[in-house]
Amino acid sequence: MLSKRHTIWAIYAVFIVLTMAAPLVMDSFWLNRVAKYLVYGMLGIAVALSWGYAGILNLGQGLFFGAGAYMLAMSLKLASATSLQQGSDKPVPDFMMWNAEPGAPTELCCINKASFLWLPFQSQWFGVLMGLVVPMAIAGVIGTIVFRKRISGVFVSIITLAVVLLVRLVVIDAQPITNGFNGLTDLGWLNVGGFEFDPYVVQTYYLVAISLAVVLIGTRLLVETRAGLILQAIRDDENRVRYLGFDVPTYQTFFFAVSALIAGFAGMLYVVVSEFASPTFLDLQFSITMVVWAAVGGRASILGACLGAILINTISATVSETAGFAEGWKVVIGLVFVLVVLYLPRGLAGIAHDLLDRLRRRTPADTVRVGDATGASQLAE
Amino acid sequence: MLEVLFIGLSLGSVLLLVALGLAITYGAMGVINMAHGEMVMVGAYVTVLSGIWLGANIFVAIPLAFIVTALLGLLIEKLVVRKLYGRLLDTLLATWGIAILIQQAVRLEFGLSFFGIHIEGLGPGLQNVAVPEFLQGAFSIGGAEINRYRAFIILVTAILALLTWLIMYRTPIGTQVRAIIRNPKMAAACGIDVERVNALTFAFGSGLAGIAGVMVSGFKTVFPDMGTPMVVDGFLVVVMGGVGSLLGSVFSAGILGEINGLVASVTNDILARAVVFGIVIAIIILKPKGLFALKGR
Amino acid sequence: MKGNSMAIDRRKFIKGGLLATGAAMTSPAVFSSGAQAAGEIKVGVLFSLTGGLSIVEKSLHDATMMAISEINEKGGVNGMKITAVAEDGASDPKTFNEKASKLVIQDRVPTVFGCYTSASRKAVLPVFEKRHNLLFYPTYYEGFECSKNVVYTGAVPNQQLSNFIPWIIKTLGKKKFFIVGSNYIYPREMAKVSKILIEKNGGQWIADEYLELGHSEWGSMVNKIKNSGCDVVLSNVVGDSVVAFYREFKNQGLTHDKLPICATVTSEIEIAAMGPEYAVGSYTSFPYFQAIDTPANKDFVARYRKFVNDPKAVTHHALECSYFQVYLWKQAVEKAGKATPEAIVANIGGQSFDAPGGKVTVEAQNLHTALTPRIAQWQADGQGKIVNAYDQPVFPLPYVAYGETESNLFCTAKGLDSAKLKL
Repeated sequence: MLSKRHTIWAIYAVFIVLTMAAPLVMDSFWLNRVAKYLVYGMLGIAVALSWGYAGILNLGQGLFFGAGAYMLAMSLKLASATSLQQGSDKPVPDFMMWNAEPGAPTELCCINKASFLWLPFQSQWFGVLMGLVVPMAIAGVIGTIVFRKRISGVFVSIITLAVVLLVRLVVIDAQPITNGFNGLTDLGWLNVGGFEFDPYVVQTYYLVAISLAVVLIGTRLLVETRAGLILQAIRDDENRVRYLGFDVPTYQTFFFAVSALIAGFAGMLYVVVSEFASPTFLDLQFSITMVVWAAVGGRASILGACLGAILINTISATVSETAGFAEGWKVVIGLVFVLVVLYLPRGLAGIAHDLLDRLRRRTPADTVRVGDATGASQLAE
Repeated sequence: MLEVLFIGLSLGSVLLLVALGLAITYGAMGVINMAHGEMVMVGAYVTVLSGIWLGANIFVAIPLAFIVTALLGLLIEKLVVRKLYGRLLDTLLATWGIAILIQQAVRLEFGLSFFGIHIEGLGPGLQNVAVPEFLQGAFSIGGAEINRYRAFIILVTAILALLTWLIMYRTPIGTQVRAIIRNPKMAAACGIDVERVNALTFAFGSGLAGIAGVMVSGFKTVFPDMGTPMVVDGFLVVVMGGVGSLLGSVFSAGILGEINGLVASVTNDILARAVVFGIVIAIIILKPKGLFALKGR
Repeated sequence: MKGNSMAIDRRKFIKGGLLATGAAMTSPAVFSSGAQAAGEIKVGVLFSLTGGLSIVEKSLHDATMMAISEINEKGGVNGMKITAVAEDGASDPKTFNEKASKLVIQDRVPTVFGCYTSASRKAVLPVFEKRHNLLFYPTYYEGFECSKNVVYTGAVPNQQLSNFIPWIIKTLGKKKFFIVGSNYIYPREMAKVSKILIEKNGGQWIADEYLELGHSEWGSMVNKIKNSGCDVVLSNVVGDSVVAFYREFKNQGLTHDKLPICATVTSEIEIAAMGPEYAVGSYTSFPYFQAIDTPANKDFVARYRKFVNDPKAVTHHALECSYFQVYLWKQAVEKAGKATPEAIVANIGGQSFDAPGGKVTVEAQNLHTALTPRIAQWQADGQGKIVNAYDQPVFPLPYVAYGETESNLFCTAKGLDSAKLKL
């Protein structure tokens, strides 16, 4: 009989095979749509890693998603045909003309005071690199400050929430270089070795699906490492781990940054499949919504959170496109949220684990422990 | 200058109005009620509906809104929140779902719009709340023009804060609530009916949100999504003030309001909001327990 | 430049490949649902039915559906019924983008009527441009766009401001402008065009301030206006903020007879929500008002109220555009004899229609619509009394802020002439 660990890996394999086989049965619209949901699934993984494994509920995950998205979108904006139609030989984003002072030179270097920041993004690979580095760096800074001060639980959530709202405000206000509320639109396509990733071709789907598989397996392996186990120990009892001599903030910051990296990567892929980046990525609603995806799928399960994201989005799309539900679909979503939290606190993954255990005739004692790692202790203090 | 300070004070009082209810549900009960903003919205709609169907003015709407939202709060407590005590972050998620449901109920006119029935005062659009003539315009004190409606809001907020303080610190039930804040198990062991007190506290907090809804409906816009941004500001106030401390919420609302008003008058409103976020982040990092931390075990 | 043209060639090549694979992969079932059945034309309708923007977009959705049902009652287009595939954009550009690609690629509609904010239009634009489809966009917007895949039926800045600013200066005799707007592109572009016009007409602007979109706390800003020494406020404030603004304005003791608010976005919706007593005496510039005193418009208002089953429903500019653009589309389809995006675009130019607010014409050069600018003063009954109107429709100039004139167009049937686009 297979061990539980093997069974879980088998389920991962089934999921990955299914995503790889999707192009056999789907038309180009559904491929693109599923690619978007796989990107959301990747966000679910990021949430599960920080919430389920590190006990850090980040209510500002959208910040990292948005940072990744904007970095790549800047490069793709410069690669778009319209950027070359602004009366200059070199690319200038069309929106920069809007807020420019009359008589300003139509050059990227100096059309406004901050436009020089865009210069290195003429190289697409610089954009890709920044899309990974910037979210990680932001998370590193936040993590270092917050975790060194031993801030935990709901206070981390409030800080991340305030940070994402602050950044959103700045991005919308810095219109000359961010295009404000409209975001970066009218982008070129990602170009790898001469191949352009049109969002509706099967190659783009595979770019997303393979990326997801890599992130999924990578994250799973990561939490099984020694560091991953220490992280879970920190989640369950921070002080005990500290007394054992481990440098708790370093572990927390590291995994917080990895979670940010995954979210940033997801943001970049989203730009590839949707062809825009928008400050709505930084909306509070979006950040909370992705936490709910993870809760539905199972916050302490990497694959569960990923599936939760895919499932909720599929339900939303299907219900909202059912005749008569165009206005009512959100009721269904709201109900699902409430019912899952009430009756399935461990999400779908919880059911799956119980089922597995029952099949293997074991008591469910060794299932993954999901406490609200923060709530109870917070209150007691 | 006096006018700027007055505006800051009124900004703070609006913050406090929303935060009062949260200070109780979150501070006392450990429930992050994301549907609190929707309670404010419901209160505003009670004002709209009572104006249209009963011809009632804003003063009649205050008790009505309190009753309606308190009952709604009671219902939510019995159906959902009760099952989630001690699971702080789960309350956040479940009430987020409830918030969506309440919004949709108003937008779809309780589902009647599917049957082609329209109730005046509900639906997705903006609603109008009539403000009595004597609360419109301004009066002047010492050369400064004082906005009547804002003065009214400050007055109501002060009364509500005082009333809440009296209930919490000068009545038996308030003593019970405070006992539960410090240690729910010990309180239960001492014979306090924790379930009942929790239900009443939640209803009271929701009722306060309803009154806040009546007040903001007179100078902001009434529509189904109006509550969402308010709840965030409310939480920032409560956390900065110190969870469980009424005085802390009053102070942090006042400080944030004045800072917002001052920065906005010197520079602009966008920067003012950014500064407010920055200050909240800094204070939580420096004093995670808030300005007025409750000491207890 | 060489590299770019090569990139485009490659893109065409890929697109050919995409079509081939797409056709090969598509199952018969998808074909029958997507392709046009005999006797019906499917069109997409894409507005927010949920979320914050539904306060306005629901009414645009309703007006579009009303036009479609009217056309169907009168026999449809070329004898074919129009079937609307309505989707919810949920006030979120992400959803708009997803639903647009559903309508264009899966449902294969030849046209989508939809979008209210520029943010949502920008998010769906790549779908329409790269998949060669067609969007009918009913909202007044900031201009600076020259797409061959969008028909713009709302006003652009020159149609709201070219009469408004000179009128304020000459007729109202106001010279010192305080410009205030929501913080995004439309108000900023409007401010830019306004400043040009203000200076040309001998006025001056003393401030240009912005507030977050959806911001409803106006205490500080109105205080600033009060102390600025201006004699007129030019408001480009959008959405629910408008209500809070006008209320605060009155509550701080300001009056429209001394210091009028002259607005470019404040419509019947916001006036009804704030209560007319806060707006009496202020002005708005729009091509359409509910109060336009013609039998055609009165009939339109009555039909709309009946259609949405609300005897107090108001009509407004973007709503009127949502309505008449379906008729313009119908005429183009009839002229083309078929309903493909290419055929509709080729025939939409020059189409005229007697809309509730008067004659409208789609200009073949830039696919924007000639509309008649009007100025109204708000009355105690919540309606705008028309105090000034052009005698004929004004040509739309989406690049007016950059020096575009009717005799020197930047956006023509050939596309955008970027050489003219100098700051």
